[in-house]
Amino acid sequence: MITFAAVSKWFDSLQVLREISFQVAQGEIVSIVGPSGVGKTTILRLIAGLIQPDEGRVEVVDAVQGYVFQEPRLLPWRTALDNVAAPLRAQGCSKRQARSLAADWLARVELAGFEHYHPAELSGGMAQRVSIARAFAVQPRILLMDEPFSNMDVELKASLLVLLQRLIRQLGTTVVYVTHELLEALQLADRLLELTPERDLREVELSDRAAVARAWLAKIQPLL
Amino acid sequence: MASTTAARESVPKGSDARGSGPRGSGRGPGPRGRRRRLLFGVAGGVAILVGWQLLSVVVNPAILASPVQTAIALGELASGSTLWIQVLITLRRLVIGLAVGAAAGATLGVVAGLEPRLRSFFEPFRWVGMTIPAVVIAVLAMLWFGLGDFTVMFIVALIVLPTMYVNTMAGVLAIDQKLVEMGHVYRFPRRLLLTEIYLPGVASPALAGLTLATGIGVRAVVLAEVLAAMSGVGHAFSRAMSYLETPKLYAWVVVLLALMAVIEFGFLRPVKRRALRWRKATE
Repeated sequence: MITFAAVSKWFDSLQVLREISFQVAQGEIVSIVGPSGVGKTTILRLIAGLIQPDEGRVEVVDAVQGYVFQEPRLLPWRTALDNVAAPLRAQGCSKRQARSLAADWLARVELAGFEHYHPAELSGGMAQRVSIARAFAVQPRILLMDEPFSNMDVELKASLLVLLQRLIRQLGTTVVYVTHELLEALQLADRLLELTPERDLREVELSDRAAVARAWLAKIQPLL
Repeated sequence: MASTTAARESVPKGSDARGSGPRGSGRGPGPRGRRRRLLFGVAGGVAILVGWQLLSVVVNPAILASPVQTAIALGELASGSTLWIQVLITLRRLVIGLAVGAAAGATLGVVAGLEPRLRSFFEPFRWVGMTIPAVVIAVLAMLWFGLGDFTVMFIVALIVLPTMYVNTMAGVLAIDQKLVEMGHVYRFPRRLLLTEIYLPGVASPALAGLTLATGIGVRAVVLAEVLAAMSGVGHAFSRAMSYLETPKLYAWVVVLLALMAVIEFGFLRPVKRRALRWRKATE
């Protein structure tokens, strides 16, 4: 579904990605973890075709993509309903059809009754749920998620992760989920890739998730 | 739309009140505050009338007509057809000049906002357009085209254009690129990018520009009619001055203010309200 072959990317003189290679098969939920600034978002932007690699090759099956950004990126002048409906209209749905599908999706992210609210009237968590509804509404074959819950408190994040997990299972979507929080990644992912501060990408064995979590906690313990 | 209070009560179960509830709308002035503000506004209007009346007692009536004399002159003008014909002539020139100038300014503003090279190319034109005094434009237009309808509309369009250009360009430059990127990810066709992202993004500064341009346009059309026309409110005003018909002169000033009020409250504000409903909803 997605192939990165020795991909490098520079922003001016700063090399963000260094000969990164990996593959994501159809239906896989892959999480990429790593500290801030190691190029996680760059990988998603390459998959979405928003930027091109400077070296190497990025191959993505031509398929509908959903993208949940770090911030909700909703159109401030449109209601929650029309925000979810807009990409459906881009797919060729009539306005009426798009709105009806959008209303269904808002209900699935537990936002029934908020269809006619504008983004500024919603809390951060609610706005991000609208953004999740928008991403799922297009029935994406590839779903890209860029630390979608990074600005939320623990309880809210946990409830949204459960919601997300349910939706992903229902749709069987291929997911690339970027985060700097390992526990979040462990909860969602089939496969875990770690981008190290040295900008190497390595696969983390997930047969014993508890051991991975323990190792990570041991690593950050001195900081606590 | 459900009220915010109702919405607060219906926050989905299991969601965190700290992060999940809708934001409370900012408190506006409230009906009492609004009434008080309105009262102060009316008081300001009354102060103008009282000040005018007091001044007219001490100042030579050939220079300043009293509000009552002005009202009588206005009544005489309104009873005949002159007033309406002159207002229609001026309105027609204003609307055409404004429409042409604003449309050209907005179009060039969008183009310049999207293309940095054209923005640099237009910069000297913008500078000249915004620096040159309106009266100089009027005199030059008279020199080129003589007196008449076309000259007046040309002057209005030329004076209005730079304001509209600057506001629209600023609007395009201020469009959130993250939203544009979102549009690309979801493969918005060009039409949808325009109607969902670019136009609503530009609407606010463009409408602010149009309001400003209309005010400038009214001043421009009067100036142009005083100098370069044989009809219209500006010309009638200038003739009243030549014949020292002071009450009539002030009556024409009142007509101009009324014209501006109709344009602002009857057209600009409703358009603005409609285009910027989303802001109102979030205030």
